[in-house]
Amino acid sequence: MSDLRCVIVTPERTEVDVTATSVTVPLFDGEMGILKNHSPLVGRLGYGVLRIKDAAGVATRYFVEGGFVQVADNVISVLTDRVAMHETITKSLADEAMSTALAMPNTSPDQTAIRDKAAARARAMQRVAK
Amino acid sequence: MANARALDKRRKSIRNIRKITRTMELIATARFKKAMDRAAAAQDYTDRITQIVRDLAGAGLEVSHPLLADRPDATSATMLMLTSNRGLCGGYNGAVIRAAMLRRTEITGAGSNLSFEISGKRGISAMKFRQVAIDQMYTEFEDSPKFEQVAAIADRLMEEFISGKIDRLDVVYTRFVSISKQLAVTETLLPFKQPTAAELSAQAGSDKAGGGKSGAKADYEFLPSAASILEEVVPASFRVKLFKCFLDAAVSEQIARMVAMKSATENAGDIIKQLSRTYNRARQSRITQEIMEIIGGVEALES
Repeated sequence: MSDLRCVIVTPERTEVDVTATSVTVPLFDGEMGILKNHSPLVGRLGYGVLRIKDAAGVATRYFVEGGFVQVADNVISVLTDRVAMHETITKSLADEAMSTALAMPNTSPDQTAIRDKAAARARAMQRVAK
Repeated sequence: MANARALDKRRKSIRNIRKITRTMELIATARFKKAMDRAAAAQDYTDRITQIVRDLAGAGLEVSHPLLADRPDATSATMLMLTSNRGLCGGYNGAVIRAAMLRRTEITGAGSNLSFEISGKRGISAMKFRQVAIDQMYTEFEDSPKFEQVAAIADRLMEEFISGKIDRLDVVYTRFVSISKQLAVTETLLPFKQPTAAELSAQAGSDKAGGGKSGAKADYEFLPSAASILEEVVPASFRVKLFKCFLDAAVSEQIARMVAMKSATENAGDIIKQLSRTYNRARQSRITQEIMEIIGGVEALES
């Protein structure tokens, strides 16, 4: 009874299911660290890096794109549309995402919304890219 | 009597067909397993998002969202029909098309505008044949639909619904009930129906009975706020629901093809048996006839 479990699921499948000592999630308005016996919580995620630190103190980093996090009974469920290993997000990839986002049409409110979303994602990618 | 050589030729061609249908059956079986695994893997997300919705409802929060708003005087509707890209899958497409046509007459009969969207070449060609106007076509969905592609469609439909371009969305697809049962159904996805509190608690009860998650009664903290989460949770559950429709359709298609090809293989076997019998009979009677002719000739010479 010592484990904090972290599960990352996407609509397609369960990506990650590990035990951890601490998890840092990128919430909508800032990062948040979660340790064992955290009070129950439902939070909205933004774009950013999720860090899972295991018992050996080694951190695994993922890039998540929005969704939710739910904490209950020492289980952290992360529901996200897409997840990637942090290392796979490179500067060129981020720049490319940014230029495609900026090249999107911007003539009607809904197009603007889609464009803003893509730009926010690209900005987050640029921020975390190595 | 039938020509023995023609019979033999036919038997050979049926043997070839049997080989093909047998292979297709095996392929469909493999694809079905893959599609089934995908559907099972996707189940986790659905469960967890339902859990969050349940917790939100449990927190005594009034669930309201533009997607949930009921519109009694619907004047324009969208219907999305999910069919396969390939044929040779028995009654799979036929059943969906029939259900769609039924709903279509229902909607147009009520005097509302209908925009018709179809996924799958089979459905598109069937509707073209019936000279039904098609507004949107998708052919990119094969046996493993990608969430991103489905999410793009879902986002567009949600936007149209919220802006008032459409008042309802029906999805006609084949629901996977069990391996031996799939149903062509019409489901109204927009206005979106969140499961009601009573249904949720009933579900929670069954979850617990099955040794499911406990702690549904936990007192949650919502970050940044419950309303903000709700704003995101409803579209997310709509997206995942539409995705589930696509997954169900893909699984059902493979099952339908598997069954159709199995019976085709069996049928080919039956025909081969029958043809062999006729062929042997024809061959035997020809031989008998030749012998009779020879004997007749010999007797004529002797006398």
